[in-house]
Amino acid sequence: MGLRDDLERYREVGENRRQDLAEFIQYGDMGGSQQGSVRIPIKIVDLPEFEYDQRDMGGVGQGDGDTPQPGEPVGEPEDGDEDGDPGEEGGEHEYYEMDPEEFAEELDEELGLDLDPKGKQVIEEKEGDFTDITRTGPTSTLDFERLFKQGLKRKLAMDFDREYVREALKIDGWGPETVFEWARTDENLPVSRPWVEEAYAEIPDGERTAWESLEEMEESTDRVDTAQRIRREGVDQIPFRREDERFRYPEVVEEREKNVVVVNIRDVSGSMRQKKRELVERTFTPLDWYLQGKYDNAEFVYIAHDAEAWEVEREDFFGIRSGGGTRISSAYDLAAAVLEEEYPWSEWNRYVFAAGDSENSSNDTEDQVIPMMEEIPANLHAYVETQPSGNAINATHAEEVERHFRNSGNVAVAYVSGPEDVTTAIYDILSTEEEAD
Amino acid sequence: MRDRQSDIEMQREAERLEEATDEAANLAGKLGLDQFPVNYWVVDYDDMNELIAYGGFQTRYPHWRWGMQYDRQQKQGQFLGGKAFEIVNNDNPAHAFLQVSNSLADQKAVITHVEAHSDFFANNQWFGLFAENPDATAMLARHADTIREYMQDPEIERAAVEKWIDHILCLEDNIDQHQPYEPVDAHQEVSEFDPEDIDDQLADLSVSEEVRQQVFDDEWLESQADDDEVASFPAEPEPDILAFLRKHGRQYDDEAGKAVEMEEWQREILEVLRAEAYYFAPQKMTKVMNEGWASYWESLMMADENFASADEFLTYADHMSQVLGSPGLNPYKLGLELWQYVENTTNRRHVVEHLLRVDGITWRNFHDTVDFDLVQEVLEPADLVAAPTEQELSTVDPEDPRVDADALAAAQAGELDLETYPWKLLSYEGLAERHYSLTKAQSRGFLSRVGQEELERVSRYMFERDRYDSVEEALAAVDYTVGWDRMREVRESHNDVTFIDEFLSQEFVDEHDYFTYEYMHASDDYRATSTDAADVKKKMMLQFTNFGKPTIAVADGNYDNRNELLLEHQYNGVALDIGQAQDTLERVFELWGRPVNLRTVVKRYDEHDVEVARRRDSEPTPEEKGLEIRYDGMDFSEEELDLEAVEHLAATDVDYDTKPEEWLA
Repeated sequence: MGLRDDLERYREVGENRRQDLAEFIQYGDMGGSQQGSVRIPIKIVDLPEFEYDQRDMGGVGQGDGDTPQPGEPVGEPEDGDEDGDPGEEGGEHEYYEMDPEEFAEELDEELGLDLDPKGKQVIEEKEGDFTDITRTGPTSTLDFERLFKQGLKRKLAMDFDREYVREALKIDGWGPETVFEWARTDENLPVSRPWVEEAYAEIPDGERTAWESLEEMEESTDRVDTAQRIRREGVDQIPFRREDERFRYPEVVEEREKNVVVVNIRDVSGSMRQKKRELVERTFTPLDWYLQGKYDNAEFVYIAHDAEAWEVEREDFFGIRSGGGTRISSAYDLAAAVLEEEYPWSEWNRYVFAAGDSENSSNDTEDQVIPMMEEIPANLHAYVETQPSGNAINATHAEEVERHFRNSGNVAVAYVSGPEDVTTAIYDILSTEEEAD
Repeated sequence: MRDRQSDIEMQREAERLEEATDEAANLAGKLGLDQFPVNYWVVDYDDMNELIAYGGFQTRYPHWRWGMQYDRQQKQGQFLGGKAFEIVNNDNPAHAFLQVSNSLADQKAVITHVEAHSDFFANNQWFGLFAENPDATAMLARHADTIREYMQDPEIERAAVEKWIDHILCLEDNIDQHQPYEPVDAHQEVSEFDPEDIDDQLADLSVSEEVRQQVFDDEWLESQADDDEVASFPAEPEPDILAFLRKHGRQYDDEAGKAVEMEEWQREILEVLRAEAYYFAPQKMTKVMNEGWASYWESLMMADENFASADEFLTYADHMSQVLGSPGLNPYKLGLELWQYVENTTNRRHVVEHLLRVDGITWRNFHDTVDFDLVQEVLEPADLVAAPTEQELSTVDPEDPRVDADALAAAQAGELDLETYPWKLLSYEGLAERHYSLTKAQSRGFLSRVGQEELERVSRYMFERDRYDSVEEALAAVDYTVGWDRMREVRESHNDVTFIDEFLSQEFVDEHDYFTYEYMHASDDYRATSTDAADVKKKMMLQFTNFGKPTIAVADGNYDNRNELLLEHQYNGVALDIGQAQDTLERVFELWGRPVNLRTVVKRYDEHDVEVARRRDSEPTPEEKGLEIRYDGMDFSEEELDLEAVEHLAATDVDYDTKPEEWLA
């Protein structure tokens, strides 16, 4: 229908005009988006025209019983729609909206990924396709097709061109015995002796010597093959046998739900200022969307920590700042507890992402964090170092983790010093799991 | 998709409304309107939104913009706060759409509004420019078919068609809306000289190289190009850019690296969309008038004629306040207020003329001698017209010009429902008196507010010099229909610009609290600047002339003697949005095939001046400079021009800037 198509076209235009995902992730305004919906600002949607400079135009307003006196401020002028719809809000941001699934697909394409989510928990035994076969069953599950095919095979096996054989019986000098031998041996026709004799008996006297030789008979007689005969005679002639009956029933399919829990851990200590916080947000948010888009069921745990750890809501996660020092293991302690409690490994895919500026209290990395990263089973552990100014002296957490887990398949470390690094970091993290597969 | 249940609902609604639509048309006729017949359709909410998105028609060519409009409507909540109220299109018969879920009061409001719109479409001369009987539904459907066919043609890339449409739509307001619509006659083209063309043609002639060089030598070729007379066209700047492109535009062929003739489908689509632009232009040019007109008659029919019953009326009042209550420059409100003003000023002038002919009354002593209370009393509509249902029918005089004699007879025979439709008893004259504007509550003081200047002017131009002996005698001769008669004349001849220009006055501005505002560099915000009628009018002119857009015209189709296009902005003191102008130039290139240029005037603010002005809390004065922007298909280039080069562009002496002099630094 017209409208459906035109809405689709509009969507496509939006798709063409919107920022590509990499740009959006690195520099775009994430303000319009939420957990379950990704809204990417569209640069310009409508077509350009020759227009006045709005500011240079000024305008006319109408007071509500009181006119503003010259010099008094007036509100921002409304965007006048050409069609002059009064009171309509003008110039709202246009967004291209996508759900996490689409986001994941696009990101796959753009970054060259292809994460395959694993099914974990068996949630139900479902009836699959009716592909298993038994010999007995209710009539409604009779595999008629099979029955027919079997019958057809039988027919073909037993069928022969009776008329043709009858003509053979009319060959001069050929009796039933001769014809029987000839039919069976030379022509491979499944004739039976009684039938041949009967057929011979049916032939009127005068015709028994109608043909002088086999050659003459063959020349003058058309053979009709089984297919043609069936076509002429119809399906009634197909023999159905009880022993050919088969009945179908459904296979048992184990449906595994693809669950995922994503644990986001963030250092919120004093050193994590605005720029670093933003980088964390730009890295984690797309990761969350991606995983949410790939898995059937996604849950999120947000843990903020300084020297201690506590769980928070998503709205607060990226903005929080506390004053204290840093002890990363506190977060892993809490994470381990939460996962143990609510997200058993047998039932949940797990991703544990931590971010900070690589600062940690002495020995905590080696003594506490690394062992815990080894202990906590997960699809993927990752640490994202957000350090805009490059390396700081005491900030070695990322390095240490990387060194230790260099050969392990489920730990990724990424370095983000500016927005331009974000997509690479995302790629590195997500592809680590892929490689391990 | 709709189910049978909703189909039934709509059918029921349609039947319920039949009487209302019939009687609304009847009443409109009695009130002097002369509308195209209207076909009403009952639709559901989604249909309504769709129709609005498609400009009021069911079949338009495929394009993403309809999707965008629909999407925006859905997102911005509902049109006019809850229910889409009216769609009627300009056609004969007109088609109007009513939403199934609206209350009866709302439906009646829409219906009366629609009848008035239809009258406007039928009589306003600007609509006549396109066609007397537009047959719009069919035309737009034909266009849709044409374009759809091209889109489905396997030889033509669909995306190319869609892009082509986009380019043209950027210029849909660049037509000559004051001229009647005429299709471009492709055969009237002025043949241009293009040396490349000639080259190709020569190659095609398969004439030997020798002959070519002898006969068509370089000298000859140059002499063809050297004709200065032929070089530049059009003779006058051409505001119908679409027509010009249709006639002379080319396509840039990437592979060939040059401009080639447009394809048939490109030419046809250009003309189709140009026609649509002309069709819709009058609607854009008369928005204020049209909406005001419809609101005026709707209000009269609904409130004064009790078209809505008492309880229905409350919902109706709500509706009106929503429509009229929106902030900013509201065309419904402005239009309605202006029409009421036209009516009142016409009636007032007429009464004043009569009073000035009373012995003893002059324009000087008018305010001292006239007893306005008495005048109001005398002018009050007679009982006959004010309350027809309370009349003893046998006492009503069929010869009274205010009475509809046929209706009287029918009423006496018991065939007419006067209780529900009291207006049926009256004629046009009767209704005019019944609804006389000067005696309405909201206009009580209007007559007495007549100014000295006007009194003197009326006195000066009066022809009739017969004297009346008394006020009563003078008023007995007052014609109650002059207001409406004049309104009907105006709705025929004017458009928004001339409407506002003629009728907006200081009295009007004061009564309705209009003011102008400007952007201030000093405070980086907008401030009110004036309540002077002249200023208000100027700003409105800016907003309504040429669809509220700058006038751009084709200045030269062979600019620089290289077949480049030169557009000029007819600068009126308000600068262009340069960013958008550049984006638009890109589109123009696609339709011209060769480099395009735009000349305009820009305002440069010196940073230092701005600083100084800010400190003094005053406004900096910009320097005006000529600017020429060029786009060659790949890059933009700009060139500043001396003011002499652009002086002719700054044609008007109207200064649209309303900032008071003393504010300037």
